[in-house]
Amino acid sequence: MKTRIIQICPNLFALLVAVVFWGCDAGSKSADISPGSQTGVGGSMARFAITGNTLYIATMQSLEVYDITQPDQPSRITKRDLGVGIETIFPYKNNLFIGSTNGMYIFDNSDPKAPRQLSFYSHVQSCDPVVVQGNYAYVTLRNGSACRRFTSLSSLDVVDISNLSAPRMLTTTPMESPYGLGIDGNRLFVGEGSRGLKLFDISDPAKPVLKEFRGDIPTYDVIPYRSTLIITGEKGIFQYRYDDKDQFDLLSKIPVE
Amino acid sequence: MMKIPPILTLGLLLGLIACDPPVDRTTGGPAFDGTGYRAVYATAEELAKIETQSARALRKPGKIYVQGNYLFVNEQGEGLHVIDNADPAKPRKISFLKIPGNNDIAAKGRYLYADNATDLVVLDIGDPTSIKVVKRIIDAIPPQNYPSLQQVYFECPDSKKGTIVAWEKVSMSSPPACFR
Repeated sequence: MKTRIIQICPNLFALLVAVVFWGCDAGSKSADISPGSQTGVGGSMARFAITGNTLYIATMQSLEVYDITQPDQPSRITKRDLGVGIETIFPYKNNLFIGSTNGMYIFDNSDPKAPRQLSFYSHVQSCDPVVVQGNYAYVTLRNGSACRRFTSLSSLDVVDISNLSAPRMLTTTPMESPYGLGIDGNRLFVGEGSRGLKLFDISDPAKPVLKEFRGDIPTYDVIPYRSTLIITGEKGIFQYRYDDKDQFDLLSKIPVE
Repeated sequence: MMKIPPILTLGLLLGLIACDPPVDRTTGGPAFDGTGYRAVYATAEELAKIETQSARALRKPGKIYVQGNYLFVNEQGEGLHVIDNADPAKPRKISFLKIPGNNDIAAKGRYLYADNATDLVVLDIGDPTSIKVVKRIIDAIPPQNYPSLQQVYFECPDSKKGTIVAWEKVSMSSPPACFR
């Protein structure tokens, strides 16, 4: 019987199969929120990061490396002393990008048990986090931080990292009070702290173009995840859908009470 | 070898035991606006008290972390809101994990790695309404001896009072000795 239906109307059958699978998927999503064996995703302000079976912790003065092959028994493998003022860690492909109050460290972690420093970028005094896509690193620098006491500008810097051993600043865009940032394809989201959220177009990765400035969404950090931008800030958690071109629609908010 | 005069040695020692970063009320301090940061201390016993509580309101949300359909929202210095975010249009708070001195997490599978002030703890979150501490690594993380904000005044840390788990902004009649 089924075979006949397929023969008569293959398209309808395909549609039915699709609907059934789609339905199942939606059903399982709401019923089961177990995380499986997957590693999660943090924001750009994170000090903890996991890649494979390795947990990295960027403390204020060092990079600590733990083996978590046996996940409930982390064992410390090694550490790298990094002076002072370490703030954030961002793993990307075989590298770790570590933001500190006086620059950005780039490590090769292709052997996760023995991270190797490739370079230290201190062309400008960078106080804040970094995100990376392709050959470009995006770094925010905030005025008022201790390391920027003698300068007056906050900025978003684009750094060419095609040669990881010799990072090079390409452009700098003035900002108000930037904190965390996130990147997805042609979109770059930058939190301006209590002043709001900025959306940049980075079709040309070296030249971020401001598309929107939302002063009503205080943003400390962001995570772009499955076409949803998750925002944390002093007013609470906001989630926006951004998959349609130039669309930025509020999905939900969990307010601070 | 150069001899250091005793008075200078004393000065150097005093300099070393003063606040980090060093204190100088005459130069370099930020403008005092009547506020400063006060350390919130916890004893080792209090720190070890990790427990699952019922979901509660956000007060001072910090960092966020996503894993599958879970969204974790840090309550600065206090713990984690566990949120079912399977439908980002309808996030649902499941529970609150009280983890004193917590600001950061990462997760893999059913295990969550979190800072518990100066300790690193591994939590089994297989059942988010009843989490279990499966491992504690003491003194894995150096203490937070100053607030994360800069250009602010803060009360100098006193290790005799315990471990610092958070810094809270309070009104002050005069600037305290420490600032950054």
